[in-house]
Amino acid sequence: MHLDPFELHRPTTVDETVRLAGALAGRFDFLAGGTDLLPNYKMHLNLKPHLVALEDVDELRGFSADRLGAMARLADLERDPAFAATWPSVADAVGEVATPLVRASGTVGGNLLLETRCFFFNQSYFWRASLGFCLKADGDRCHVVPQKEVCYATHSGDLAPALMVVDAEVEVAGPAGRRRLPLADLYDAKGDGVRRLTLAPGELLVAVHLPRAARGRRGRYKKLRVRPAYDFPELGVAVAGRWTGDRVEELRIAVGGAEPRPRRFDTLTDALVGRTLDDARLRELAEAIGKSVRPVHNTFLLPDYRRRMVAVYVRRAVAEAREGTAG
Amino acid sequence: MSAEARVKFLLNGHPQEVPCEDARILLDLLRDDLHLTGTKRGCDLGTCGCCTVLVDGRPTLSCLTLARLTEGRSVTTIEGLTPPQGLSAVQRAFVDLGATQCGFCTPGFVVTATALLEENPRPTRAEIERAISGNLCRCTGYIKIVDAIAAASRSSG
Ligand SMILES: Cc1cc2nc3c(=O)[nH]c(=O)nc-3n(C[C@H](O)[C@H](O)[C@H](O)COP(=O)(O)OP(=O)(O)OC[C@H]3O[C@@H](n4cnc5c(N)ncnc54)[C@H](O)[C@@H]3O)c2cc1C
Ligand code: SF4
Repeated sequence: MHLDPFELHRPTTVDETVRLAGALAGRFDFLAGGTDLLPNYKMHLNLKPHLVALEDVDELRGFSADRLGAMARLADLERDPAFAATWPSVADAVGEVATPLVRASGTVGGNLLLETRCFFFNQSYFWRASLGFCLKADGDRCHVVPQKEVCYATHSGDLAPALMVVDAEVEVAGPAGRRRLPLADLYDAKGDGVRRLTLAPGELLVAVHLPRAARGRRGRYKKLRVRPAYDFPELGVAVAGRWTGDRVEELRIAVGGAEPRPRRFDTLTDALVGRTLDDARLRELAEAIGKSVRPVHNTFLLPDYRRRMVAVYVRRAVAEAREGTAG
Repeated sequence: MSAEARVKFLLNGHPQEVPCEDARILLDLLRDDLHLTGTKRGCDLGTCGCCTVLVDGRPTLSCLTLARLTEGRSVTTIEGLTPPQGLSAVQRAFVDLGATQCGFCTPGFVVTATALLEENPRPTRAEIERAISGNLCRCTGYIKIVDAIAAASRSSG
């Protein structure tokens, strides 16, 4: 498959990148590892005439226990045992993204900003033209929920929930300067599968910051997918917490792969702080989260099954996190 | 881009400079322009691993790589892994143990396995299985492929 022509730009600093993004407003995409963008381009999904490649921007590279550069490669994170010991939920998720070959190119930033997915969207141009285009590319209706003018495409990145439970923050740079926001707020609560992020036009993700206060939380990420070696999440549940004996000191749970954005369930988990999380309470918590998650029929597995698996995965993830060792 | 656009890189150890549009995919450049057809086009979407090459020693899906981004780097294809006389240890083991059926996925597996053994000369079976989990064999002959990589790891050094 050949790509339609575009102009490739290779800035070397964050300032230059932001200036370029401003000048090309609305007519470009950032290119990180390209493992999400280029398959979409091959399928003629929302092509732009310019690509701004980020791989020469030094500031975006590399990672430490406190900071992941947006261009940090997943394969490099995966090979660092010290990182895995400090951030177990994140390490779990990194190792579950796609395949080793995709992780060799795929980056942290690209994973967090991954395009949402739907089986009416991730199809060739011919396929989509035959059925009729949809809201997310070239069309004006939704094939999944035709009654509404809303897109339900699914957030399908593994890292977001795993980083949200350790209260990660993201640093972004744009025409208005730099700002930092909780990762959870990167995903637009008032948006949908199309308007999915709170980034302003031209804003660049620079890095993810991992707060020291969250070090030592025990964590786990559990992923439901069809082929364990390959597939995007049909559901991903991340847990991080601290316990004294059976008593909960801190607990965070996030669910991804089920709705247009990954979500944390702080109201439910905060209510458990200071209490004992016995089997009955864990079951209650898992059921409550399961009830509030609403997948639709736009991925491989049926939504009713995915929804019922939320409670199962929450129970397993919490139990395994509690058994796990802290960093 | 302009008709002047070119890419300059080290291909299988030799400097190479060729015309290359911005939107040119590395796989297409290798196969269609440079006629190195050992690298196979399978799914063309990053799923099957048939198009794997090494870029600066790192296994890379050439179907999802812009050719111009290999500027100044070293690209090694299956042709470059084959010694002038004979076969590499991994290739030898694939032949000896019958780890090919139709053979279409073989170059990708050999490149991935070569990178694995470079990084980890004595992998366990589980490590081999994990390393090749991004390469699909449609004939599903995985057991012999794992056997061959294990044999190559014993035969070298
Ligand atoms: C076969 C296959 C299987 C896959 N399975 C999974 C899976 O199981 N789980 C999963 O999470 N993903 C999966 N992916 C998707 C993808 O490979 C990963 O999410 C990867 O981490 C994306 O990173 P990238 O650097 O390649 O992103 P790119 O494709 O380069 O970028 C993705 C998006 O983010 C934007 N972007 C990237 N970096 C920045 C930045 N710094 N600032 C602003 N915008 C930016 C790009 O413009 C683009 O829209 C799979 C892909 C393939 C091909
Ligand atoms: S949920 Fe609807 S609008 Fe969104 S990608 Fe799928 S079919 Fe298109």
